Amino acid sequence: MIKAEMNTGLGAPASKAIGPDAPRRSLQGVVTFLKEYLVLIMIALLVGITAVVEPKFMDAANLINIERQLGPLMMVSLGMTFVIIGGFIDLSVTGTVNLVAVVTISLIQPLGQVSALFVGLGLGIVCGGLNAVLILSSGAVTQAEALFLTFGMSTVYSALALLYSHGSTMHFWDMSASKTLFETIGSGKLGPFSVSFVIFLVCLALLWAFQEKTVEGRFIRLTGGNKTAARLAGVNIARSIVVIYILCGFMTAVGSIVLFSRITTAAPTIGLGFETNAILAVVVGGTTLLGGKGSVLRTVMGVLLVTLMSNCLDLINVSTYLQVAVKGAILVLAIWLDNRKQA
Amino acid sequence: MNVKESGASLLKIATTQKAFIAIVIMLVGMLFSHSGFYTAYNLLDMLNSTSILLILAFGVTLTIVSGGCDLSIGGTLVVSGIVAVKLLNVMPMWPAMLIAVAIGAAVGFLNGFLAVHQKTEPFIITLGTGLLLVGIAQQLTDAHPIPATNPDFMNIGNGDFYGVPYLVIIMAVCFVASYVLMRFTAFGRNLYAIGGDYEVARYSGINVIRTKWLAFVISGAAAGLAGVLLSSKLNTGSAVYGETTALVVNCGVVVGGTSFAGGIGGIPQSALGLLVFGLLDNAMNMLDITSYFQVLLKGAAIVAIIWLDCFNQKRKREAV
Repeated sequence: MIKAEMNTGLGAPASKAIGPDAPRRSLQGVVTFLKEYLVLIMIALLVGITAVVEPKFMDAANLINIERQLGPLMMVSLGMTFVIIGGFIDLSVTGTVNLVAVVTISLIQPLGQVSALFVGLGLGIVCGGLNAVLILSSGAVTQAEALFLTFGMSTVYSALALLYSHGSTMHFWDMSASKTLFETIGSGKLGPFSVSFVIFLVCLALLWAFQEKTVEGRFIRLTGGNKTAARLAGVNIARSIVVIYILCGFMTAVGSIVLFSRITTAAPTIGLGFETNAILAVVVGGTTLLGGKGSVLRTVMGVLLVTLMSNCLDLINVSTYLQVAVKGAILVLAIWLDNRKQA
Repeated sequence: MNVKESGASLLKIATTQKAFIAIVIMLVGMLFSHSGFYTAYNLLDMLNSTSILLILAFGVTLTIVSGGCDLSIGGTLVVSGIVAVKLLNVMPMWPAMLIAVAIGAAVGFLNGFLAVHQKTEPFIITLGTGLLLVGIAQQLTDAHPIPATNPDFMNIGNGDFYGVPYLVIIMAVCFVASYVLMRFTAFGRNLYAIGGDYEVARYSGINVIRTKWLAFVISGAAAGLAGVLLSSKLNTGSAVYGETTALVVNCGVVVGGTSFAGGIGGIPQSALGLLVFGLLDNAMNMLDITSYFQVLLKGAAIVAIIWLDCFNQKRKREAV
């Protein structure tokens, strides 16, 4: 369980490899691979078909667009990955995105941009920490309990965002103070890549190192795999819970800041749908909702495909509403297949 | 109201309830508010507007007692309502309503297949089907409310029988039916057994999969009925009510004392739990609390309730 599960190769199980006839063995390998990555393959097919049907998809402009769209969902999903590996779930990311966006943008004028940035990131940590405190103090151990608690907190954070902003949308162009920092995050370029993409790469590298190379990262896996066993083995479960929720809150704050920097406005409802998209991306990537297994690299793949899918559906003129239905269907399918795989 | 009818045993349940205490506190608090709260009109209106949530809650209670959960009811609610309004244009009222309820039951059947037969986590999988259904509802209406054209249909949700709204009467019928089902039938007792301990129930010879599956079908059908009634009350089909209804109803059921751990609770408890939310909504409106602040209070209430439920579970675990 501790061993890293990378998406490097065909997932042919070693135990089945003793079979006498090689063709059958490779067939089994193919079947296992299909089972493992069915949803990914389906989305990849959709992308492939769209690329043929709609040549606009491969335009440089569209690809740059996709590269820039990736950032926010990527950050939130990376944070969510750890919560799910730890065997919990966080529905409060929507509220956190809303709150961090309106608070940060409103502080650029009075505090200056650097302080505003740090307050925003700190607020994310506070939101995540508050979730962890609620979960620890109530003694919630199941995913269901965490789901309802964080949903409630999402409502609270969103309401605070609405109260704080009086329901109004704030724009960059209304501000006289310097906001070059946020403009760089939103639309700056570093060599061939956008700044938000570079931020994503840095976050990914750090989080991957955290997941693979630190004891805390392993403890999170153990907690998700089996809480009782982890506790008996001397893992401080409470600490793991605090770490995963604070990490998720922090990454959500980063995602929120990248998001409003790109669109240069912050509405108190900016985070709508982030929780389901992030869970979708994590599950489609192959991190199991049962906890204990998964990787940030898988999530990257999941986000990439979910974003590509949105883009494809946009290009072939599927309405936004139907896209919600498609995402719901894929989420149900992915959870179902994941469950069959684990059983 | 219905609690009184069903005699002293129910009154006993009510007095040991934290939901009951919350209701009493709110009722006493409103005595000092100098608003129009204590008028027959307002109280009946409160019950009327809570009726639809109550019907949803009766269905959901079955799934939660059996150790599951149904978060797709919000989606089912809006899809059934919209389908009913759309079908009114092509067929008479009753078949249209029946089809809409049947769609709810079909959604429940799908949920049951995924959550019971395939043993996926019901909380997550029904969240997914809920999202799917909200998407379908938005697509069906293009995200605009669509008006119903049949005055008879509108009358169901807005008419009354000697002063008692039809909605309240339908809710009362559902209450009695689900109460009898849970309390006096083998099916109801089996649900409690399954929620209490799934494996023990299985080894006792209960057809666990069929029983629990049926609970999801009933929950879906109840959501379908609620959707039809909602459309009738508003005289429109709209997708906006699908967003948070499911979580509010599930929380309301938990407030009443039906725990997510399964095996405990019941229909009267759920009714009380949902009345807490109905009363809270009504009281906040009467006190002229701004809508954003209402959202905040409701969210805080949900967190506090779930927190208490988790805390009770923890104490129970440690006591064993």
